[in-house]
Amino acid sequence: MKSVKIFLFSVIFLSIGSICFSNTSDLLLKAENHIASGNFDTAIEILNTIQFPEGKNEEDTINYVKAKIRIAQIASITKDFSSAQAACRKALNADPQNSEAKELLNSIKRQQSPKYVLFFTDSIRFFPSLLKGAFMTLLLVIVTMGVSPIGGLFIALGRISRFAPVSIICWFIIWFFRGTPLLLQLFFIYYGLPALGITLSPLCAALIGLGVNYSAYLAEIIRAGILSIESGQMEAAKALGMTYSQAMKRIIIPQTYKRLIPPVGNEFIALIKDTALVSTISMVELMRSADRLFNTYFNVNVLILAAVMYLLFTTVFTFIFENLEKRVGIYEKR
Amino acid sequence: MKKDNNILLTLKGITKYFGTHKALDNINLDVKKGEKVVIVGPSGSGKSTLLRAVNLLEKVEKGHIFFEKKEVGYRFKKGKRLLDSPKNISFLRSEIGMVFQHFNLFPHMTALQNVIEAPVTVKKMPKEKAVKIAEEVLAKVGLSDKKDSHPAKLSGGQKQRVAIARALAMEPKLMLFDEPTSALDPELVGEVFNTIKALAEEGMTMIIVTHQMGFAREIADRVIFMENGIFVEQGTPEEFFSSAQKNERISGFISSIL
Repeated sequence: MKSVKIFLFSVIFLSIGSICFSNTSDLLLKAENHIASGNFDTAIEILNTIQFPEGKNEEDTINYVKAKIRIAQIASITKDFSSAQAACRKALNADPQNSEAKELLNSIKRQQSPKYVLFFTDSIRFFPSLLKGAFMTLLLVIVTMGVSPIGGLFIALGRISRFAPVSIICWFIIWFFRGTPLLLQLFFIYYGLPALGITLSPLCAALIGLGVNYSAYLAEIIRAGILSIESGQMEAAKALGMTYSQAMKRIIIPQTYKRLIPPVGNEFIALIKDTALVSTISMVELMRSADRLFNTYFNVNVLILAAVMYLLFTTVFTFIFENLEKRVGIYEKR
Repeated sequence: MKKDNNILLTLKGITKYFGTHKALDNINLDVKKGEKVVIVGPSGSGKSTLLRAVNLLEKVEKGHIFFEKKEVGYRFKKGKRLLDSPKNISFLRSEIGMVFQHFNLFPHMTALQNVIEAPVTVKKMPKEKAVKIAEEVLAKVGLSDKKDSHPAKLSGGQKQRVAIARALAMEPKLMLFDEPTSALDPELVGEVFNTIKALAEEGMTMIIVTHQMGFAREIADRVIFMENGIFVEQGTPEEFFSSAQKNERISGFISSIL
Protein backbone atom coordinates (compact mmCIF):
# COMPACT_ATOMS: atom_id res chain seq x y z
CA MET A 1 0.00 0.00 0.00
CA LYS A 2 2.83 2.26 0.89
CA SER A 3 4.37 1.85 -2.51
CA VAL A 4 1.01 2.62 -4.13
CA LYS A 5 0.72 5.77 -2.03
CA ILE A 6 4.23 6.78 -2.99
CA PHE A 7 3.39 6.16 -6.64
CA LEU A 8 0.20 8.20 -6.50
CA PHE A 9 1.96 10.97 -4.70
CA SER A 10 4.71 11.14 -7.19
CA VAL A 11 2.20 11.17 -10.08
CA ILE A 12 0.27 14.05 -8.50
CA PHE A 13 3.47 15.81 -7.70
CA LEU A 14 4.81 15.43 -11.19
CA SER A 15 1.60 16.54 -12.83
CA ILE A 16 1.30 19.53 -10.57
CA GLY A 17 4.95 20.21 -11.30
CA SER A 18 4.45 19.98 -15.03
CA ILE A 19 1.58 22.45 -14.83
CA CYS A 20 3.37 24.78 -12.50
CA PHE A 21 6.91 24.69 -13.78
CA SER A 22 6.78 23.93 -17.53
CA ASN A 23 5.96 27.37 -18.89
CA THR A 24 5.27 28.15 -22.56
CA SER A 25 8.90 28.99 -23.34
CA ASP A 26 9.95 25.51 -22.37
CA LEU A 27 7.27 24.02 -24.56
CA LEU A 28 8.42 26.09 -27.52
CA LEU A 29 11.97 24.96 -26.92
CA LYS A 30 10.86 21.35 -26.80
CA ALA A 31 8.92 21.73 -30.04
CA GLU A 32 11.89 23.34 -31.73
CA ASN A 33 13.99 20.34 -30.77
CA HIS A 34 11.44 18.02 -32.40
CA ILE A 35 11.31 20.20 -35.49
CA ALA A 36 15.08 20.13 -35.70
CA SER A 37 15.04 16.36 -35.62
CA GLY A 38 12.19 16.21 -38.12
CA ASN A 39 9.39 15.06 -35.84
CA PHE A 40 6.81 17.52 -37.15
CA ASP A 41 3.79 15.63 -35.75
CA THR A 42 5.13 15.55 -32.21
CA ALA A 43 6.16 19.18 -32.52
CA ILE A 44 2.66 20.17 -33.58
CA GLU A 45 1.16 18.22 -30.67
CA ILE A 46 3.36 20.07 -28.22
CA LEU A 47 2.72 23.42 -29.90
CA ASN A 48 -1.01 22.80 -29.76
CA THR A 49 -0.80 22.48 -25.99
CA ILE A 50 0.15 26.11 -25.78
CA GLN A 51 -3.15 27.79 -25.09
CA PHE A 52 -4.14 31.37 -25.44
CA PRO A 53 -3.40 32.89 -22.03
CA GLU A 54 -6.54 34.00 -20.24
CA GLY A 55 -4.71 36.67 -18.30
CA LYS A 56 -2.77 39.42 -19.97
CA ASN A 57 0.51 37.61 -19.64
CA GLU A 58 2.64 39.24 -22.30
CA GLU A 59 5.30 36.58 -22.55
CA ASP A 60 2.72 33.85 -22.92
CA THR A 61 0.89 35.77 -25.63
CA ILE A 62 4.12 36.16 -27.58
CA ASN A 63 4.88 32.51 -27.20
CA TYR A 64 1.32 31.60 -28.25
CA VAL A 65 1.71 33.63 -31.41
CA LYS A 66 5.12 32.08 -32.08
CA ALA A 67 3.64 28.64 -31.64
CA LYS A 68 0.80 29.35 -34.10
CA ILE A 69 3.25 30.73 -36.66
CA ARG A 70 5.39 27.66 -36.27
CA ILE A 71 2.33 25.45 -36.79
CA ALA A 72 1.40 27.41 -39.89
CA GLN A 73 4.92 27.12 -41.30
CA ILE A 74 5.00 23.36 -40.75
CA ALA A 75 1.51 22.98 -42.22
CA SER A 76 2.39 25.00 -45.28
CA ILE A 77 5.50 22.87 -45.84
CA THR A 78 3.34 19.76 -45.66
CA LYS A 79 0.82 21.47 -48.00
CA ASP A 80 -1.93 21.50 -45.36
CA PHE A 81 -2.96 24.99 -46.37
CA SER A 82 -6.28 25.12 -44.47
CA SER A 83 -4.70 24.40 -41.06
CA ALA A 84 -1.84 26.70 -41.95
CA GLN A 85 -4.27 29.52 -42.66
CA ALA A 86 -6.23 28.78 -39.52
CA ALA A 87 -3.07 28.90 -37.43
CA CYS A 88 -2.07 32.19 -39.02
CA ARG A 89 -5.47 33.68 -38.31
CA LYS A 90 -5.24 32.62 -34.66
CA ALA A 91 -1.84 34.22 -34.41
CA LEU A 92 -3.20 37.41 -35.94
CA ASN A 93 -6.16 37.41 -33.57
CA ALA A 94 -3.78 37.39 -30.65
CA ASP A 95 -1.42 39.94 -32.23
CA PRO A 96 -2.98 41.80 -35.18
CA GLN A 97 0.25 43.75 -35.86
CA ASN A 98 2.49 40.70 -36.30
CA SER A 99 4.18 41.17 -39.66
CA GLU A 100 5.60 37.66 -39.79
CA ALA A 101 2.12 36.20 -39.52
CA LYS A 102 0.80 38.61 -42.14
CA GLU A 103 3.50 37.69 -44.64
CA LEU A 104 3.02 34.02 -43.95
CA LEU A 105 -0.73 34.30 -44.48
CA ASN A 106 -0.13 36.09 -47.79
CA SER A 107 2.33 33.53 -48.98
CA ILE A 108 -0.04 30.70 -48.02
CA LYS A 109 -2.85 32.42 -49.90
CA ARG A 110 -0.50 32.81 -52.93
CA GLN A 111 0.29 29.13 -52.88
CA GLN A 112 -3.40 28.29 -52.82
CA SER A 113 -4.49 30.59 -55.66
CA PRO A 114 -4.52 29.37 -59.32
CA LYS A 115 -1.49 30.04 -61.57
CA TYR A 116 -3.13 32.71 -63.73
CA VAL A 117 -4.24 34.66 -60.70
CA LEU A 118 -0.71 34.42 -59.39
CA PHE A 119 0.69 35.70 -62.69
CA PHE A 120 -1.74 38.56 -62.59
CA THR A 121 -0.95 39.58 -59.02
CA ASP A 122 2.78 39.15 -59.65
CA SER A 123 2.51 41.30 -62.75
CA ILE A 124 0.98 44.08 -60.73
CA ARG A 125 3.62 43.63 -58.08
CA PHE A 126 6.66 43.62 -60.40
CA PHE A 127 5.33 45.90 -63.10
CA PRO A 128 6.51 49.21 -61.60
CA SER A 129 10.14 48.14 -61.21
CA LEU A 130 10.18 46.42 -64.61
CA LEU A 131 8.62 49.49 -66.17
CA LYS A 132 11.51 51.61 -64.96
CA GLY A 133 13.88 49.19 -66.64
CA ALA A 134 11.72 49.16 -69.76
CA PHE A 135 11.95 52.94 -70.02
CA MET A 136 15.72 52.68 -69.94
CA THR A 137 15.62 50.01 -72.65
CA LEU A 138 13.36 52.26 -74.73
CA LEU A 139 15.75 55.17 -74.25
CA LEU A 140 18.70 53.05 -75.39
CA VAL A 141 16.76 51.79 -78.40
CA ILE A 142 15.49 55.20 -79.50
CA VAL A 143 18.82 56.99 -79.10
CA THR A 144 20.64 54.20 -80.97
CA MET A 145 17.98 54.24 -83.70
CA GLY A 146 18.47 57.97 -84.05
CA VAL A 147 22.25 57.93 -84.07
CA SER A 148 23.23 54.76 -85.92
CA PRO A 149 21.62 55.53 -89.31
CA ILE A 150 23.50 58.82 -89.41
CA GLY A 151 26.75 57.16 -88.37
CA GLY A 152 26.04 54.35 -90.81
CA LEU A 153 25.40 56.78 -93.66
CA PHE A 154 28.71 58.55 -93.13
CA ILE A 155 30.64 55.29 -92.85
CA ALA A 156 28.90 54.02 -96.00
CA LEU A 157 29.69 57.21 -97.94
CA GLY A 158 33.27 57.00 -96.69
CA ARG A 159 33.48 53.41 -97.84
CA ILE A 160 32.25 54.36 -101.34
CA SER A 161 34.59 57.35 -101.43
CA ARG A 162 37.29 57.29 -104.08
CA PHE A 163 39.66 58.95 -101.63
CA ALA A 164 41.54 55.87 -100.47
CA PRO A 165 42.45 56.83 -96.86
CA VAL A 166 38.80 57.57 -96.00
CA SER A 167 37.65 54.39 -97.65
CA ILE A 168 40.24 52.34 -95.78
CA ILE A 169 39.40 53.88 -92.41
CA CYS A 170 35.71 53.20 -92.94
CA TRP A 171 36.45 49.66 -94.06
CA PHE A 172 38.46 49.18 -90.88
CA ILE A 173 35.65 50.50 -88.66
CA ILE A 174 33.18 48.09 -90.24
CA TRP A 175 35.65 45.23 -90.09
CA PHE A 176 36.39 45.78 -86.42
CA PHE A 177 32.93 46.42 -85.04
CA ARG A 178 31.23 43.71 -87.07
CA GLY A 179 34.01 41.27 -86.36
CA THR A 180 33.98 41.37 -82.57
CA PRO A 181 31.16 40.58 -80.13
CA LEU A 182 29.10 43.53 -78.95
CA LEU A 183 29.56 42.24 -75.40
CA LEU A 184 33.32 42.52 -75.77
CA GLN A 185 33.02 46.04 -77.17
CA LEU A 186 30.85 47.08 -74.24
CA PHE A 187 33.32 45.59 -71.76
CA PHE A 188 36.15 47.37 -73.48
CA ILE A 189 34.39 50.73 -73.46
CA TYR A 190 33.23 50.48 -69.86
CA TYR A 191 36.00 48.56 -68.13
CA GLY A 192 38.87 49.01 -70.58
CA LEU A 193 38.80 52.72 -71.38
CA PRO A 194 39.31 53.83 -67.75
CA ALA A 195 42.79 52.29 -68.07
CA LEU A 196 43.42 54.87 -70.79
CA GLY A 197 42.08 57.60 -68.55
CA ILE A 198 38.59 57.74 -70.06
CA THR A 199 35.90 56.91 -67.54
CA LEU A 200 32.36 56.78 -68.78
CA SER A 201 29.04 56.41 -67.02
CA PRO A 202 27.26 53.13 -67.76
CA LEU A 203 24.64 54.95 -69.85
CA CYS A 204 27.29 56.77 -71.85
CA ALA A 205 29.29 53.61 -72.42
CA ALA A 206 26.16 51.70 -73.43
CA LEU A 207 25.08 54.37 -75.92
CA ILE A 208 28.55 54.60 -77.46
CA GLY A 209 28.85 50.83 -77.70
CA LEU A 210 25.42 50.28 -79.23
CA GLY A 211 25.73 53.38 -81.45
CA VAL A 212 29.07 52.46 -82.98
CA ASN A 213 28.26 48.79 -83.36
CA TYR A 214 24.96 49.47 -85.09
CA SER A 215 26.47 52.22 -87.25
CA ALA A 216 28.93 49.65 -88.56
CA TYR A 217 26.17 47.19 -89.36
CA LEU A 218 23.92 49.78 -90.94
CA ALA A 219 26.84 51.17 -92.98
CA GLU A 220 26.98 47.99 -95.04
CA ILE A 221 23.21 47.97 -95.53
CA ILE A 222 23.20 51.63 -96.55
CA ARG A 223 26.17 51.11 -98.87
CA ALA A 224 24.33 48.24 -100.57
CA GLY A 225 21.26 50.49 -100.84
CA ILE A 226 23.23 53.26 -102.49
CA LEU A 227 24.92 50.88 -104.91
CA SER A 228 21.55 49.38 -105.82
CA ILE A 229 20.34 52.66 -107.34
CA GLU A 230 20.82 52.53 -111.11
CA SER A 231 23.90 54.38 -112.32
CA GLY A 232 21.67 56.33 -114.73
CA GLN A 233 20.31 58.30 -111.78
CA MET A 234 23.72 59.65 -110.85
CA GLU A 235 24.48 60.37 -114.51
CA ALA A 236 21.22 62.23 -115.01
CA ALA A 237 21.87 64.29 -111.90
CA LYS A 238 25.41 65.07 -113.03
CA ALA A 239 24.27 65.90 -116.55
CA LEU A 240 21.96 68.52 -115.02
CA GLY A 241 24.97 70.12 -113.35
CA MET A 242 24.64 68.69 -109.87
CA THR A 243 27.76 68.02 -107.87
CA TYR A 244 28.38 64.59 -106.36
CA SER A 245 27.15 65.64 -102.94
CA GLN A 246 24.05 67.35 -104.33
CA ALA A 247 23.23 64.26 -106.36
CA MET A 248 23.74 62.01 -103.33
CA LYS A 249 21.65 64.17 -101.07
CA ARG A 250 18.80 64.97 -103.44
CA ILE A 251 18.64 62.03 -105.82
CA ILE A 252 20.42 58.88 -104.67
CA ILE A 253 19.93 58.68 -100.91
CA PRO A 254 16.18 59.53 -100.95
CA GLN A 255 15.67 56.63 -103.35
CA THR A 256 17.35 54.19 -100.97
CA TYR A 257 14.85 54.76 -98.14
CA LYS A 258 12.29 52.28 -99.35
CA ARG A 259 14.92 49.64 -100.00
CA LEU A 260 16.59 50.26 -96.64
CA ILE A 261 13.57 50.06 -94.37
CA PRO A 262 13.18 46.24 -94.35
CA PRO A 263 16.83 45.39 -93.58
CA VAL A 264 17.27 48.35 -91.23
CA GLY A 265 14.04 47.42 -89.45
CA ASN A 266 15.45 43.95 -89.04
CA GLU A 267 18.58 45.35 -87.44
CA PHE A 268 16.53 47.52 -85.10
CA ILE A 269 14.50 44.53 -83.92
CA ALA A 270 17.81 42.85 -83.13
CA LEU A 271 18.87 46.05 -81.38
CA ILE A 272 15.89 45.93 -79.01
CA LYS A 273 17.12 42.55 -77.81
CA ASP A 274 20.79 43.47 -77.90
CA THR A 275 20.16 46.23 -75.37
CA ALA A 276 19.93 43.38 -72.83
CA LEU A 277 23.71 43.03 -73.19
CA VAL A 278 24.33 46.39 -71.53
CA SER A 279 23.03 44.90 -68.28
CA THR A 280 26.52 43.45 -68.01
CA ILE A 281 28.04 46.89 -67.61
CA SER A 282 25.74 47.71 -64.71
CA MET A 283 23.11 49.49 -66.74
CA VAL A 284 19.73 48.95 -65.13
CA GLU A 285 17.42 48.31 -68.03
CA LEU A 286 14.62 45.82 -68.57
CA MET A 287 16.79 42.68 -68.51
CA ARG A 288 18.73 43.80 -65.49
CA SER A 289 15.55 44.75 -63.58
CA ALA A 290 14.06 41.36 -64.36
CA ASP A 291 17.27 39.64 -63.33
CA ARG A 292 17.34 41.47 -60.02
CA LEU A 293 13.72 40.67 -59.18
CA PHE A 294 14.21 37.08 -60.24
CA ASN A 295 17.20 36.68 -57.98
CA THR A 296 15.28 38.21 -55.07
CA TYR A 297 12.00 36.32 -55.39
CA PHE A 298 12.91 33.31 -57.55
CA ASN A 299 9.69 34.00 -59.32
CA VAL A 300 9.47 32.87 -62.95
CA ASN A 301 6.60 35.26 -63.60
CA VAL A 302 9.12 38.11 -63.58
CA LEU A 303 10.87 36.58 -66.57
CA ILE A 304 7.58 35.98 -68.36
CA LEU A 305 6.58 39.58 -67.77
CA ALA A 306 9.93 40.79 -69.11
CA ALA A 307 9.50 38.60 -72.20
CA VAL A 308 6.05 40.10 -72.74
CA MET A 309 7.51 43.60 -72.53
CA TYR A 310 10.25 42.79 -75.06
CA LEU A 311 7.64 41.29 -77.37
CA LEU A 312 5.54 44.40 -77.00
CA PHE A 313 8.49 46.56 -78.06
CA THR A 314 9.39 44.41 -81.06
CA THR A 315 5.75 44.21 -82.16
CA VAL A 316 5.24 47.96 -81.98
CA PHE A 317 8.45 48.65 -83.90
CA THR A 318 7.61 46.00 -86.50
CA PHE A 319 4.32 47.77 -87.18
CA ILE A 320 6.02 51.15 -87.34
CA PHE A 321 8.55 49.90 -89.91
CA GLU A 322 5.86 48.21 -92.02
CA ASN A 323 3.86 51.40 -92.08
CA LEU A 324 6.89 53.47 -92.92
CA GLU A 325 7.76 51.17 -95.80
CA LYS A 326 4.31 51.59 -97.32
CA ARG A 327 4.42 55.36 -96.99
CA VAL A 328 7.94 55.88 -98.29
CA GLY A 329 7.44 53.64 -101.30
CA ILE A 330 4.20 55.26 -102.41
CA TYR A 331 5.78 56.77 -105.54
CA GLU A 332 6.54 53.35 -106.98
CA LYS A 333 2.85 52.45 -107.11
CA ARG A 334 1.43 52.49 -110.58
CA MET B 1 41.82 78.47 -135.89
CA LYS B 2 38.67 79.37 -137.72
CA LYS B 3 37.27 82.81 -137.08
CA ASP B 4 33.66 81.71 -137.18
CA ASN B 5 31.78 83.42 -134.39
CA ASN B 6 28.88 81.08 -134.90
CA ILE B 7 30.68 78.02 -133.55
CA LEU B 8 29.23 76.79 -130.25
CA LEU B 9 31.15 73.59 -129.71
CA THR B 10 34.47 72.41 -131.05
CA LEU B 11 36.00 69.01 -130.50
CA LYS B 12 39.66 68.58 -131.41
CA GLY B 13 41.42 65.27 -131.55
CA ILE B 14 39.17 63.56 -129.02
CA THR B 15 40.53 60.10 -128.29
CA LYS B 16 39.12 57.70 -125.77
CA TYR B 17 40.24 54.23 -124.80
CA PHE B 18 38.30 51.54 -123.01
CA GLY B 19 41.23 49.43 -121.92
CA THR B 20 43.08 48.80 -125.15
CA HIS B 21 39.99 49.37 -127.29
CA LYS B 22 39.95 52.74 -129.01
CA ALA B 23 36.37 53.94 -128.60
CA LEU B 24 36.97 57.41 -130.05
CA ASP B 25 39.78 57.93 -132.51
CA ASN B 26 40.91 61.50 -133.03
CA ILE B 27 37.45 63.00 -133.45
CA ASN B 28 37.18 66.57 -134.77
CA LEU B 29 33.84 68.32 -134.87
CA ASP B 30 32.50 71.87 -135.07
CA VAL B 31 28.90 72.53 -134.19
CA LYS B 32 27.44 75.88 -135.15
CA LYS B 33 24.84 77.68 -133.10
CA GLY B 34 21.42 76.39 -134.08
CA GLU B 35 22.86 73.46 -135.99
CA LYS B 36 21.30 70.02 -135.73
CA VAL B 37 23.89 67.29 -136.00
CA VAL B 38 22.65 63.72 -136.22
CA ILE B 39 25.11 60.90 -135.59
CA VAL B 40 24.24 57.45 -136.85
CA GLY B 41 26.15 54.22 -136.91
CA PRO B 42 26.15 50.64 -135.65
CA SER B 43 26.15 49.98 -131.94
CA GLY B 44 29.57 50.05 -130.37
CA SER B 45 30.74 52.63 -132.90
CA GLY B 46 31.33 55.26 -130.20
CA LYS B 47 28.33 57.53 -130.80
CA SER B 48 27.11 57.54 -127.21
CA THR B 49 30.63 57.75 -125.87
CA LEU B 50 31.17 60.86 -127.98
CA LEU B 51 28.04 62.51 -126.59
CA ARG B 52 29.06 61.60 -123.06
CA ALA B 53 32.54 62.97 -123.68
CA VAL B 54 31.03 66.34 -124.57
CA ASN B 55 29.47 66.83 -121.15
CA LEU B 56 32.30 65.03 -119.40
CA LEU B 57 30.37 62.03 -118.20
CA GLU B 58 33.18 60.23 -119.99
CA LYS B 59 36.76 61.28 -119.41
CA VAL B 60 38.84 61.16 -122.57
CA GLU B 61 42.58 60.58 -122.78
CA LYS B 62 43.38 63.03 -125.52
CA GLY B 63 41.88 66.04 -127.22
CA HIS B 64 40.36 69.40 -126.46
CA ILE B 65 36.81 70.58 -126.01
CA PHE B 66 35.90 74.20 -126.69
CA PHE B 67 32.51 75.47 -125.61
CA GLU B 68 31.70 79.02 -126.65
CA LYS B 69 35.36 79.45 -127.67
CA LYS B 70 36.67 78.52 -124.23
CA GLU B 71 38.52 75.32 -123.58
CA VAL B 72 36.62 73.29 -121.02
CA GLY B 73 36.76 70.09 -119.08
CA TYR B 74 40.42 69.44 -118.37
CA ARG B 75 43.32 71.02 -116.60
CA PHE B 76 46.96 70.11 -116.46
CA LYS B 77 48.83 69.67 -113.23
CA LYS B 78 52.51 68.71 -113.28
CA GLY B 79 52.03 67.42 -116.82
CA LYS B 80 49.13 65.22 -115.78
CA ARG B 81 45.77 65.57 -117.47
CA LEU B 82 43.03 65.94 -114.88
CA LEU B 83 39.33 66.67 -114.99
CA ASP B 84 38.56 70.28 -114.27
CA SER B 85 37.28 71.30 -110.83
CA PRO B 86 33.84 69.91 -109.94
CA LYS B 87 32.51 73.45 -109.89
CA ASN B 88 33.60 74.19 -113.46
CA ILE B 89 32.38 70.85 -114.70
CA SER B 90 29.01 71.35 -113.03
CA PHE B 91 28.74 74.74 -114.64
CA LEU B 92 29.50 73.34 -118.08
CA ARG B 93 26.99 70.56 -117.64
CA SER B 94 24.33 73.02 -116.53
CA GLU B 95 24.73 74.71 -119.92
CA ILE B 96 24.39 71.45 -121.85
CA GLY B 97 21.17 69.46 -121.64
CA MET B 98 21.25 65.73 -122.02
CA VAL B 99 18.45 63.28 -122.76
CA PHE B 100 19.13 59.61 -122.13
CA GLN B 101 17.93 56.48 -123.83
CA HIS B 102 16.38 55.23 -120.59
CA PHE B 103 15.02 58.65 -119.53
CA ASN B 104 16.62 58.41 -116.08
CA LEU B 105 13.84 60.40 -114.49
CA PHE B 106 13.99 60.66 -110.71
CA PRO B 107 11.32 58.17 -109.64
CA HIS B 108 10.79 59.64 -106.18
CA MET B 109 9.73 62.99 -107.60
CA THR B 110 6.69 64.11 -109.58
CA ALA B 111 7.15 65.35 -113.14
CA LEU B 112 7.16 68.94 -111.89
CA GLN B 113 9.66 68.17 -109.12
CA ASN B 114 11.90 66.46 -111.68
CA VAL B 115 11.87 69.60 -113.77
CA ILE B 116 12.45 72.15 -111.00
CA GLU B 117 15.11 70.08 -109.22
CA ALA B 118 18.15 71.28 -111.16
CA PRO B 119 17.17 74.96 -111.43
CA VAL B 120 16.61 75.07 -107.66
CA THR B 121 19.58 72.93 -106.60
CA VAL B 122 22.14 73.94 -109.19
CA LYS B 123 21.15 77.45 -110.21
CA LYS B 124 19.80 78.34 -106.75
CA MET B 125 16.72 79.71 -108.44
CA PRO B 126 13.82 80.68 -106.14
CA LYS B 127 11.27 77.89 -106.16
CA GLU B 128 8.40 80.02 -107.46
CA LYS B 129 10.42 81.08 -110.48
CA ALA B 130 11.53 77.50 -111.13
CA VAL B 131 7.94 76.31 -110.97
CA LYS B 132 6.94 78.97 -113.48
CA ILE B 133 9.66 77.88 -115.90
CA ALA B 134 8.82 74.22 -115.28
CA GLU B 135 5.18 74.79 -116.11
CA GLU B 136 6.20 76.51 -119.33
CA VAL B 137 8.50 73.72 -120.47
CA LEU B 138 6.01 71.03 -119.44
CA ALA B 139 3.39 72.85 -121.54
CA LYS B 140 5.89 72.93 -124.40
CA VAL B 141 6.25 69.13 -124.31
CA GLY B 142 2.48 68.80 -123.89
CA LEU B 143 2.41 67.43 -120.37
CA SER B 144 0.88 70.18 -118.27
CA ASP B 145 -1.77 67.76 -117.06
CA LYS B 146 0.83 65.25 -115.87
CA LYS B 147 2.91 67.59 -113.76
CA ASP B 148 1.89 65.98 -110.47
CA SER B 149 2.35 62.40 -111.67
CA HIS B 150 5.27 60.29 -110.59
CA PRO B 151 7.29 58.70 -113.41
CA ALA B 152 5.88 55.25 -112.57
CA LYS B 153 2.48 56.51 -113.71
CA LEU B 154 3.72 57.81 -117.08
CA SER B 155 4.13 56.02 -120.40
CA GLY B 156 7.56 55.74 -121.98
CA GLY B 157 6.87 58.57 -124.38
CA GLN B 158 5.61 60.80 -121.60
CA LYS B 159 8.66 59.97 -119.49
CA GLN B 160 11.00 60.95 -122.29
CA ARG B 161 9.10 64.21 -122.81
CA VAL B 162 9.41 64.98 -119.10
CA ALA B 163 13.13 64.21 -119.40
CA ILE B 164 13.35 66.71 -122.28
CA ALA B 165 11.45 69.28 -120.22
CA ARG B 166 13.81 68.65 -117.32
CA ALA B 167 16.80 69.42 -119.53
CA LEU B 168 15.11 72.47 -121.05
CA ALA B 169 14.34 73.98 -117.65
CA MET B 170 18.07 74.65 -117.28
CA GLU B 171 17.85 76.77 -120.42
CA PRO B 172 20.75 74.96 -122.06
CA LYS B 173 22.71 76.25 -125.02
CA LEU B 174 23.21 72.78 -126.43
CA MET B 175 21.09 69.65 -126.22
CA LEU B 176 22.48 66.14 -126.47
CA PHE B 177 20.06 63.33 -127.30
CA ASP B 178 21.39 59.83 -126.73
CA GLU B 179 19.09 57.49 -128.66
CA PRO B 180 16.01 59.21 -127.23
CA THR B 181 13.53 56.79 -128.80
CA SER B 182 15.39 53.48 -128.66
CA ALA B 183 13.68 52.35 -125.47
CA LEU B 184 10.21 53.29 -126.65
CA ASP B 185 7.40 51.25 -128.14
CA PRO B 186 7.09 52.12 -131.86
CA GLU B 187 3.75 53.90 -131.40
CA LEU B 188 5.31 56.24 -128.81
CA VAL B 189 8.29 57.28 -130.95
CA GLY B 190 6.31 59.90 -132.85
CA GLU B 191 5.35 62.04 -129.86
CA VAL B 192 8.98 62.29 -128.74
CA PHE B 193 10.20 63.13 -132.24
CA ASN B 194 7.58 65.81 -132.59
CA THR B 195 8.76 67.33 -129.33
CA ILE B 196 12.37 67.32 -130.52
CA LYS B 197 11.34 68.72 -133.88
CA ALA B 198 9.45 71.59 -132.26
CA LEU B 199 12.55 72.32 -130.23
CA ALA B 200 14.68 72.25 -133.39
CA GLU B 201 12.38 74.73 -135.05
CA GLU B 202 12.96 77.12 -132.17
CA GLY B 203 16.62 77.10 -133.09
CA MET B 204 18.08 74.91 -130.35
CA THR B 205 21.53 73.54 -131.10
CA MET B 206 21.44 69.75 -130.93
CA ILE B 207 23.55 66.66 -131.31
CA ILE B 208 21.32 63.63 -131.72
CA VAL B 209 22.38 60.01 -131.71
CA THR B 210 19.69 57.88 -133.28
CA HIS B 211 18.92 54.85 -135.37
CA GLN B 212 15.86 56.45 -136.96
CA MET B 213 16.95 57.33 -140.50
CA GLY B 214 13.68 58.98 -141.43
CA PHE B 215 13.98 61.29 -138.47
CA ALA B 216 17.63 62.01 -139.27
CA ARG B 217 16.74 62.98 -142.81
CA GLU B 218 13.91 65.21 -141.60
CA ILE B 219 15.62 67.13 -138.82
CA ALA B 220 19.35 67.13 -139.51
CA ASP B 221 21.46 69.92 -140.92
CA ARG B 222 24.29 67.43 -141.01
CA VAL B 223 24.36 63.66 -140.75
CA ILE B 224 27.49 61.87 -139.55
CA PHE B 225 28.09 58.16 -139.97
CA MET B 226 30.35 56.80 -137.30
CA GLU B 227 32.06 53.46 -137.04
CA ASN B 228 34.90 52.14 -134.89
CA GLY B 229 35.36 55.52 -133.24
CA ILE B 230 35.83 57.57 -136.41
CA PHE B 231 33.61 59.68 -138.64
CA VAL B 232 33.32 57.64 -141.83
CA GLU B 233 31.09 60.00 -143.75
CA GLN B 234 29.33 63.28 -143.16
CA GLY B 235 27.24 65.79 -145.04
CA THR B 236 23.81 67.33 -145.41
CA PRO B 237 21.02 64.75 -145.40
CA GLU B 238 20.77 64.96 -149.19
CA GLU B 239 24.51 64.49 -149.67
CA PHE B 240 24.64 61.83 -147.02
CA PHE B 241 21.83 59.65 -148.26
CA SER B 242 22.94 59.90 -151.89
CA SER B 243 26.58 59.15 -151.11
CA ALA B 244 25.42 56.41 -148.79
CA GLN B 245 24.39 54.41 -151.80
CA LYS B 246 27.99 54.46 -153.02
CA ASN B 247 29.42 53.49 -149.66
CA GLU B 248 28.76 49.82 -149.16
CA ARG B 249 29.21 49.93 -145.39
CA ILE B 250 26.70 52.73 -144.91
CA SER B 251 24.11 51.34 -147.28
CA GLY B 252 24.44 48.02 -145.54
CA PHE B 253 23.89 49.67 -142.19
CA ILE B 254 20.91 51.67 -143.41
CA SER B 255 19.22 48.67 -144.98
CA SER B 256 19.80 46.68 -141.80
CA ILE B 257 17.93 49.34 -139.84
CA LEU B 258 15.05 50.02 -142.20
